[in-house]
Amino acid sequence: MSSAPPPDKPAIATAAYLSMPDERRTAAMAHAALLGETVRKVAVTLPLGADVDDFRRVLVSEGRK
Amino acid sequence: MSVSSKSFSELSARALAKAIKDRKLSSVEATTESISRLKVAHEATNCIIALEADEALAAAKAADAALANGANLGPLHGVPLAHKDMFDRVGKIASWGARIRADKPATTNATVIERFKAAGSIQTAALHLTEFAFGPTGHNYVLGHARNPWDNTRITGGSSAGTACAVALGAIPAGLGSDTAGSLRLPAANCGVTSIKPTWGRVSRAGAMPLAACLDTLGTIARHMEDIALTLGIIAGADPRDPAAGDVPVPDYMAALDRPVRGLKLGIDERLIGEAHPDIQRMLDRVVTALVKAGLTKTPCTFAKWSEIDHLTQAMQLPDAASAHAGYLMTRPDDYGPQVRARLEVGHFISGVDHMTALRARGTVLQSVLDTTFRGIDIAILPINADPLPTIAELDVAGSPALQATMARVVKFTRPINYLGLPTLTLPIPREGGLPNGMQIIARPYAEDLLVSVGQAYQREVPPEIAKPLA
Repeated sequence: MSSAPPPDKPAIATAAYLSMPDERRTAAMAHAALLGETVRKVAVTLPLGADVDDFRRVLVSEGRK
Repeated sequence: MSVSSKSFSELSARALAKAIKDRKLSSVEATTESISRLKVAHEATNCIIALEADEALAAAKAADAALANGANLGPLHGVPLAHKDMFDRVGKIASWGARIRADKPATTNATVIERFKAAGSIQTAALHLTEFAFGPTGHNYVLGHARNPWDNTRITGGSSAGTACAVALGAIPAGLGSDTAGSLRLPAANCGVTSIKPTWGRVSRAGAMPLAACLDTLGTIARHMEDIALTLGIIAGADPRDPAAGDVPVPDYMAALDRPVRGLKLGIDERLIGEAHPDIQRMLDRVVTALVKAGLTKTPCTFAKWSEIDHLTQAMQLPDAASAHAGYLMTRPDDYGPQVRARLEVGHFISGVDHMTALRARGTVLQSVLDTTFRGIDIAILPINADPLPTIAELDVAGSPALQATMARVVKFTRPINYLGLPTLTLPIPREGGLPNGMQIIARPYAEDLLVSVGQAYQREVPPEIAKPLA
């Protein structure tokens, strides 16, 4: 009988296509998790209609004042 | 020749252009002097990737001939400049500061290169940069580290290290750089010169090596504010080759040099500035004192959620850069230096959702900063460095586990500005005999002309310097 992978470990590692030692992989994942935590706090407050072009719209509108 | 070798290094590009036009100095003489000084600067700082003496002298001879024939001259006719080695130039392969390079020569010039050529300037060299412009300290593990012109045991800052070194040592009056997280500001500050990081979209990036297109901004480094005004006026403006470079009108930056600044409100966020080293806070006080003497009024302001904005910047930058390099990173990972490789890898671990959220939030965050931080002020001032100038050895972290925290401290005051896309100007501190450093003044989008006015008023109080090695 085959055993399933532990539930807290993905069967396929993120970015498995990159050749990198475990130490760097762990550090990269930790840093991405840190950033993700902040981004999700922002996401909670972001209106559904916010889109990537808002930034350029604000810039140009300021430039034309 | 009427212009001495000593005064060559002290003249602005604008003054050199006038001297050439008035036949007080030939372009060949100016270019020869620049090449000679670049060689000396390179010995001290490792600032050159490719010296292009023969081509530059041939172009200088042609410039002198055109002048003799009464040709219509550009504002930089015959003036020797040199630029960061990341721009397409016809027939050449830019180094990108890296081992990995394009596999064939460029067939068109980058827009900024084309505009400088049209203005009549001559390129004498391609200058040092951090590998792929991805590093804020001047360390380059592939081509060798850049060394500070004032103390060559110390960092230059990066990534536009070569341009800052060559300008600081008087080998060129000005040159191009780029800024994705601080790369025009950190080297200018650390080498004691000035730089303009324009509004995102003010200057076309067509033909420039991308690092993270959502943040990349091209600008210039110079000693004299009039050269910041002159060069920005040359490279700014719409370009069909770069959709981000829109058709917002380009003001007359030279006219802004003499505009009064008395009564302008200078925003100061004491809490955020208090997160810098005490020595940096004292340096900032000296800059503020000079600005107040020039007529500005100190006014409190608040940059809210600075750390949050920094994380949003990284959530945009790292996947953008990782995507640009994905092919090379999977097929030629060992051709990267350890630091850039480790930084690029991180981008592969940030989720698409987080990346998109950071992009979608950008307009909202910018509008909030304009409505709150900039309410009641004209410009703001922040440090560029969080700490006094470290040695090359102290920041030699390569790709170690200390990398992220070390880099985060180096770009603490610069990286969030790129998320906001705001224009900033580097003001070198009054050194008072010590090592150089610099502060950034920050304006609303497309208000580079205001920065030029304030920068010129500041330089009347704190004149530009040529770097001299300190004991």
